[in-house]
Amino acid sequence: MNNQEKYKEDLLRQYIDPEMTEDAPIGFTSKVMTQIQLESRPFPAIHKLREKSLVPLISASVTVLLIAFAFLIPGNESDSLTSPFLNLFNSLKLSVPAIDLSSIFRVALPSVLMYVFLGIFILTVFDRALYRIFHREK
Amino acid sequence: MDYKGDIYYIEQVLEGKINAFSYIVDQHKNKAFNLAFRICGNHEEAEELAQDSFLKAYRALRSFKMKSSFATWFYRIVYNTTISHVRLKRKGVLSLEDFPADATDFIGANTNEEEAEKEYRNSLVNFALQKITDEERGLISLYYYEEMSTDEIADVTGISKSNIKVKLFRARQKMQEIIEKTEKKKLIYHE
Repeated sequence: MNNQEKYKEDLLRQYIDPEMTEDAPIGFTSKVMTQIQLESRPFPAIHKLREKSLVPLISASVTVLLIAFAFLIPGNESDSLTSPFLNLFNSLKLSVPAIDLSSIFRVALPSVLMYVFLGIFILTVFDRALYRIFHREK
Repeated sequence: MDYKGDIYYIEQVLEGKINAFSYIVDQHKNKAFNLAFRICGNHEEAEELAQDSFLKAYRALRSFKMKSSFATWFYRIVYNTTISHVRLKRKGVLSLEDFPADATDFIGANTNEEEAEKEYRNSLVNFALQKITDEERGLISLYYYEEMSTDEIADVTGISKSNIKVKLFRARQKMQEIIEKTEKKKLIYHE
């Protein structure tokens, strides 16, 4: 900044007096507080937030358990704990009609793939529905 | 009663004690009103804008990060609220003829010459402020009236520090020109 600019800045300072403030009118605080009390509810208590975060917490726990379960299921063995589930999956495989995807895709894909996509789609729809329910308050 | 600091009262409000917010309003109302007034140039609008800013701040209080300065966060709300408002409601261009010729026009029943001169200068600055852009007006107000540094202004406005310096320089030049022209008009008036 050269001297001329500095001079000019000082010139503006001669006119601008920071002490020359425009104070808020009398009763300003009470007006704001009346509006706040009329328009707003108190902030939601922390336990409500905890309730809200409980659903995703349970969902995440169930997902983690299922994934862990899938890893823990022995490949060939069938013990008393896992055999009912394995039998259920085996019976599902037999009961659902096989969809031939070879006409659509050149590579050989498992026939259950369409059911997997269908399942993902249904879960996505549920997820959107739940999201709307839990974000309605905003 | 001594003001115990913004954070203390914010925590009280977040715990559900709404009335604690009145201490925050009391503490910041003049600066908020002043900033809004300097940008919009109207007392009634400034009051509404300052009130609106406090309501916005209250509603967004949970999103305020306690580690940063509440004043900076709040002035950002005031600045943005006011700038958005004046951009929507543009006024006609003021002419130099709209401004009174000298301080004698400001002498009232209870004012002396010195006070009238102060009032004249203040009005002249307000007049010049109305002739620059909304953004420039905001920057001049924050820099000269709130006496903020360019770093603080950058926090409030979201404009880069280097850009603020350029904009401030231009705004300052424009205002000086307007003030000088008005002062010349005053000299001609007296001759």
